[in-house]
Amino acid sequence: MGHHTIKEVSQEKFEFQGRTKLIPILLIVLGAVMAGIGSMQVKNNWNAEDAHAEITHAEEGHHAHATEANHHSDEHSSDAITTVSLTDNPHAETHAEESHAEEGHHAHAGEHHGPTWMTRVWANLLMNSYYFWLFAVAAVFFIAVNYVANAGWAVMLKRIMEAQSSYLLIGSILLVGIILGSKDTLYHWVQYFHSSAAGDPNAAGYDKILESKSWLLNNTSLFFFIPFVTIVWIMIRMKLRRNSIAEDADKGLSMFKSSTKWSAGFIFFFAFSFSALSWLIIMSIDAHWYSTMFSVYNFAISFVTGLSVMMVILQYLKIKGKMTLVSDEVTHDLGKFMFAFCVFWAYIFLSQWLLIWYSNLPEETVYFAARLNGDFRPLFFINLFMCFVAPFLVLMMRNAKRSPVVLIIAASIILIGHWIDMYLLIMPGTVGEHAGIGLLEIGTTVCFFGLFAYTVLHSLSKANLYPISHPYVLESANHDVGP
Amino acid sequence: MVDKSILLDNKKFTIGIFDDSDKLLHAVKTLKEKGVKIFDCYTPFPVHHLDHALGYHRTNLTIGAFLCGMLGCLSGFTLAYYMNVVDWPMIIGGKPQDISVFTSFIPVMFELTILFTAFGMVIMFFARSRMIHGIKEDLLSRRQTDDHMVLAIDNDEDQAISNDDILTLLKKEGAIEVNNSKEAFNTSLTSEEELAKLLKKPKAPTKAKTSTKKPKKK
Repeated sequence: MGHHTIKEVSQEKFEFQGRTKLIPILLIVLGAVMAGIGSMQVKNNWNAEDAHAEITHAEEGHHAHATEANHHSDEHSSDAITTVSLTDNPHAETHAEESHAEEGHHAHAGEHHGPTWMTRVWANLLMNSYYFWLFAVAAVFFIAVNYVANAGWAVMLKRIMEAQSSYLLIGSILLVGIILGSKDTLYHWVQYFHSSAAGDPNAAGYDKILESKSWLLNNTSLFFFIPFVTIVWIMIRMKLRRNSIAEDADKGLSMFKSSTKWSAGFIFFFAFSFSALSWLIIMSIDAHWYSTMFSVYNFAISFVTGLSVMMVILQYLKIKGKMTLVSDEVTHDLGKFMFAFCVFWAYIFLSQWLLIWYSNLPEETVYFAARLNGDFRPLFFINLFMCFVAPFLVLMMRNAKRSPVVLIIAASIILIGHWIDMYLLIMPGTVGEHAGIGLLEIGTTVCFFGLFAYTVLHSLSKANLYPISHPYVLESANHDVGP
Repeated sequence: MVDKSILLDNKKFTIGIFDDSDKLLHAVKTLKEKGVKIFDCYTPFPVHHLDHALGYHRTNLTIGAFLCGMLGCLSGFTLAYYMNVVDWPMIIGGKPQDISVFTSFIPVMFELTILFTAFGMVIMFFARSRMIHGIKEDLLSRRQTDDHMVLAIDNDEDQAISNDDILTLLKKEGAIEVNNSKEAFNTSLTSEEELAKLLKKPKAPTKAKTSTKKPKKK
């Protein structure tokens, strides 16, 4: 292996036209058609499956209706009576609450307006919009981390990260739109806070657990907090991108310094805001349950999938004959990152799972009980295999992290594995036993993939492929990880 | 990489001493191009790409690490399984006493994997580098442990160019000192003796110089 020092980076450009442009558009259309056919199938099968009770649910949508409310109030009052008679507590009212708090989830399962076919459609949209949005979030985070850590090795990949982060704008719009559109269908706490029982401790359907979370789970969070956070992220991302483009023209350190400051601010803000968003968007689907590891878990998914997508884009560009100056050493390091964060994901998964498994508290195990029983059981183990075991073994060898084919395969395994991970995060709490992977799920994913690919490739063509005036560009071009 | 350091005894070497890793790297490449077989290079720090230039293949230490890790992982499993299931089953948290409590084995397996790999690597690395307590040092020049790099060529090997040509080439490549030792390399000296020998030489002239210079400046 001969070695020569690169003294100057010659610029490359990516052209987004012709077939490259057509394929993402076709994917969007194809995905939309598949999803449309899939949702019709789901609708028809849904009615056929549940010939009796579910039809009324489907027709009445998600509005509360009187008979059900009556039925539940009966159930609750009987609960309260049993508890009081068992414990001889004079404060019957408070005890009624407590009995509900204890059996919160169980009692509430009945209070769901059973999932309709629209629930499955909305859950799909939420899942895919969140999944693809995470790629963009991870890309912004990675840019910021590289600035703050003063890291030079990944500078040659910076435009890929920027292109990947360009999906943040459209992804956020879609995500926020879908959350607001689906909030009554997917989040049972929204239904609860709309009901008459909310805020009234004497009411029959009063839910102490949900009330205690009302500081976070409310309309202000949905309508203002989520948009606020995403707007801040988009603004910082735009600032970083503008700096990066401006740097190409004017040499010097001013843009680098400015970007470093913005990155530091972003990471500080990101740590809090991402946690809050992951609670609000995903964890609140199972609103009675909570886990302190949950936001870290989401971050792990975000980062490992983001890195895998970065790798796929890099290899795609390499196949197209671009990014020739990105050496095997840089690819190797990106592969190491993928490997490391697969292990990180597994570590976080185990940290969450082990404590819940050990302590065996019903209010915590209910989350895994839903995922380890029924149709979700095989997926649970496939998820573990595809997100940890397979990439761990595949990416362990040094040569694997330097081989484009192996890297693409590993990245695909990780991406599909985390798609299933997302599925397991969202589906059991929303669609439940009616969930399945069919034309609807695949179509929605294809559609979102087309949109993501279009945005990213479009953004790639808008700027030079290398940030030639970045102070660390030569360090990255000559990067060497040693023997 | 053949373990050559054992062979340093009773051998004759042509050595070039460099004070710059880039010059050393370039010299190695030039000599290789001329068809000179290089015995080895001795550097106080790892020089990037030198192993490629010398034509060494990658170390197999990583395979050793993997095997150590596997051994640790299996040991952890065996340990936890034997203790929790076979030998002394205990009911903890109402959990069953069979393989279904695999989750609780994972921390043990994980820790033992790390432990076995770490210890295995340390032992293997020391053994491979012959850094065993009490072993005789293989040094061509004491300076190779400080700030200089030594390029060694075995005199017994048939080279494509003559020995004098190699010497001139080494000088041209920027070697600060070349040494065509006709005698066998003397490793009978202890390190202290060799150090004393090395320190003796420059001492006398520097003392004389400073003593003559001082009054001049005044």
